[in-house]
Amino acid sequence: MKNRSSAILAAASGVMLVITLYLTFLWVPMERTMGVVQRIFYFHVPPFFVAGAAILAGLVASIRFLITRDYRFDDLAVSAIEVGWVFDSINLVMGPFWARPVWGIWWTWDARLTSAFVLWLMFAGYLILRRAVDDPSARAVMCSVVVIFQAVGGVIVYMANRWWRTQHPQPVMGGGQGSGLDPRMWYVFLFSLATMLVLFGALLQTRRRLERLRREIDGLRRTVHSEA
Amino acid sequence: MEENFKWLWYAFSAAWVLVVAYLFSLSRRESKLRDELESLKLMIQEKRQK
Repeated sequence: MKNRSSAILAAASGVMLVITLYLTFLWVPMERTMGVVQRIFYFHVPPFFVAGAAILAGLVASIRFLITRDYRFDDLAVSAIEVGWVFDSINLVMGPFWARPVWGIWWTWDARLTSAFVLWLMFAGYLILRRAVDDPSARAVMCSVVVIFQAVGGVIVYMANRWWRTQHPQPVMGGGQGSGLDPRMWYVFLFSLATMLVLFGALLQTRRRLERLRREIDGLRRTVHSEA
Repeated sequence: MEENFKWLWYAFSAAWVLVVAYLFSLSRRESKLRDELESLKLMIQEKRQK
C-alpha cells in the first residue's frame, strides 16, 4: 500500500513537472526588466518553501519523538530533513545563476544569503550528526534538538529580507505596498510549488522506506548477536 | 538575450544534476540495504537449521 502511494506520488510529480516546465518556458509572460533569466524564479523560490515545509515536518516529528520515544517519528524526521536538504540545495545552487547576470556578482554575504547558507549548513550538520553518534537513542534525542534550532534558523532566513536591508530583493509575495506578481506569474509559481510539494512527498516516502529497512536490519543484527 | 539563456540553462542543469544524483543515491542505498537484509535473513536461517 505504501509502495503504491509512493508510486502514485512519483508519477504525479513527473507529470506535474512536465506541465511546470511547459508553463515556465512557454506560457508565462516575459518579465520586463530581467528578461528570460527571471524564469529561474519558478524553480528557485518553490524549493525554498519546500525546504521550509521539510523543516516543519521534521520539527513536528522530532517533538513527537521527544514526547513518545516512538522511533517512527525519528524516521520521519531524518527523512524530511534529508529530502529538505536537497530542496534547500536546489534553491542555493540556482540563486547564483540568477544573481550573476542581474546583480553582476555570484554571491554576497548579506543577511538573507548568509542566513540561507547557515541554514544549509544546519541541514548538513544534522545529517553528519546522525552518522557520528552510534547509540540510536542518544542519536535520535540529539538530532531532535538540532531540528528545533534549525526551525528557528528557518524563520530567520524567511524574515531576513524583511528585518534587514539586503542585496537580495525584498519579498514580492506578501511584501507590502509595491510588491506583487502578474496573475499569470502567480499561477505558475503556485503550480510549481504544488509540483515540488508532490515531489517532496514522493521522495519522503522513498526515504522513509530506507529508514524502515535500516531499522529491520538493526533488529536482525541484534537477533544474530543474541543467538551467537 | 542569448547571454541570459546561458544562465537559465546553467541554473536548470545544476538543479537537474542535484535531483538525479539524489535519486541515484536513494536507489543505490536501497539496493545495498535490501542485499544486507537478505544476507542477514539467510544467516539467521542457516544458524537455526544447524
